[in-house]
Amino acid sequence: MDSDDELASRLRGGDERALRAAYDRHGAAVFYLAQRLLGNRADAEDVTQLTFVAAWTGRDGYDPQRGTMLGWLLGIARRKAVDRMRSAARDDRVTETVRAHLVPPDGRETPERVVDRLVVADEMGRLPEEQRRTLELAFFDDLTHHQIAAVTGLPLGTVKSHIRRGMANLRRRWEVDGAPSGSRSVGPTRAL
Amino acid sequence: MHHLDPDRLVLLALSDEPGLDESDHLDGCAACRHDLAALRDVAGIGAELQDLRDLPAPPEHVWSAIESEIAGPARRRRPRRLVPAMAAAVAAVVAVAGAVAFFRAPAEQVVARATLTPLATVPAGAGGSVRVLADGQMRIEVRNLPLTTGFHEVWLIDPDDLTRMVALGNLGDRPDEVLPVPAGVDMNRYSLVDVSDEPHDGDATHSGRSLLRGTLTS
Repeated sequence: MDSDDELASRLRGGDERALRAAYDRHGAAVFYLAQRLLGNRADAEDVTQLTFVAAWTGRDGYDPQRGTMLGWLLGIARRKAVDRMRSAARDDRVTETVRAHLVPPDGRETPERVVDRLVVADEMGRLPEEQRRTLELAFFDDLTHHQIAAVTGLPLGTVKSHIRRGMANLRRRWEVDGAPSGSRSVGPTRAL
Repeated sequence: MHHLDPDRLVLLALSDEPGLDESDHLDGCAACRHDLAALRDVAGIGAELQDLRDLPAPPEHVWSAIESEIAGPARRRRPRRLVPAMAAAVAAVVAVAGAVAFFRAPAEQVVARATLTPLATVPAGAGGSVRVLADGQMRIEVRNLPLTTGFHEVWLIDPDDLTRMVALGNLGDRPDEVLPVPAGVDMNRYSLVDVSDEPHDGDATHSGRSLLRGTLTS
């Protein structure tokens, strides 16, 4: 699997296959975000298409030093989804602002939250297998360190270090690539 | 003052309640509070990830639409004239065709066919089919194409390099049309049949607005 760096340089060189590789890797996440934001499949398909076309035309603007390709693509997708909501609002002569669309009144998730989930999920997928599995047991099954050690047969110390490192990796990625949020301060992080 | 142990912070973020002395420390230590808050956020996001494994890919027609869009601007390089090698090949094949015509080869022999499906931006009811006959004629039938103020043009495109294409001709008002495939065109290479919407702008290159596509198979 090519790194983001390799993919980015192929993309900048005008290699259409690099766009296809990015689409194969991240198309599902972009599509998921668009569906969550727009709530209908046809618009989500359009926004997915617009996102990758914009990624192609704006490929010189992607800098792997500043974030992952997924983070970049999700940023484009959010903007395209917002554009789509604006034009829908215009079409419908709806007086609500786009902001009202973006902050669901019934307490549903915000776009920021969906982006956060997607980047953290992507990072989960990049963790070493045992680290990922250990974290899943902690997240999804709500198991304690001791229970995880019992289930997996790993020594308690190993479970602890998997979870500590895994959490640190997810946190780092989230702080780099997560949706910008006013309330979140990216302060100095102690080494974990 | 000792900071809280990193393993302990992770446990606090995941499930545990802080003890009294831990609470005291957190009250007085912004760094530990900050770390704990971030780890709790991560744990909260982590708990929501179960549904995100194996997200479904977007439908394939989304990619087809992307492909046709990104090929758009580059297509404005279509050569105005056949390159000499191709022209020579055409001349040679025309000569052979003249000889073959004398023997009346069975005209209805299909050498390749394709089913045309609509791109993402086109109503799903649009479609068509293509048959290429042994005599080099392409029979194309289309249905429910979006109305246009311009015209519909048929192309053969190299799927490995979308800037390479051959224009076959226009579709009239009839639902079916017969277009000659220029002799010498390698249909193994130019295997993607494309129907585009072209404005009357005097620009002979592909507009970038593909409506239908399908791949020729023999």
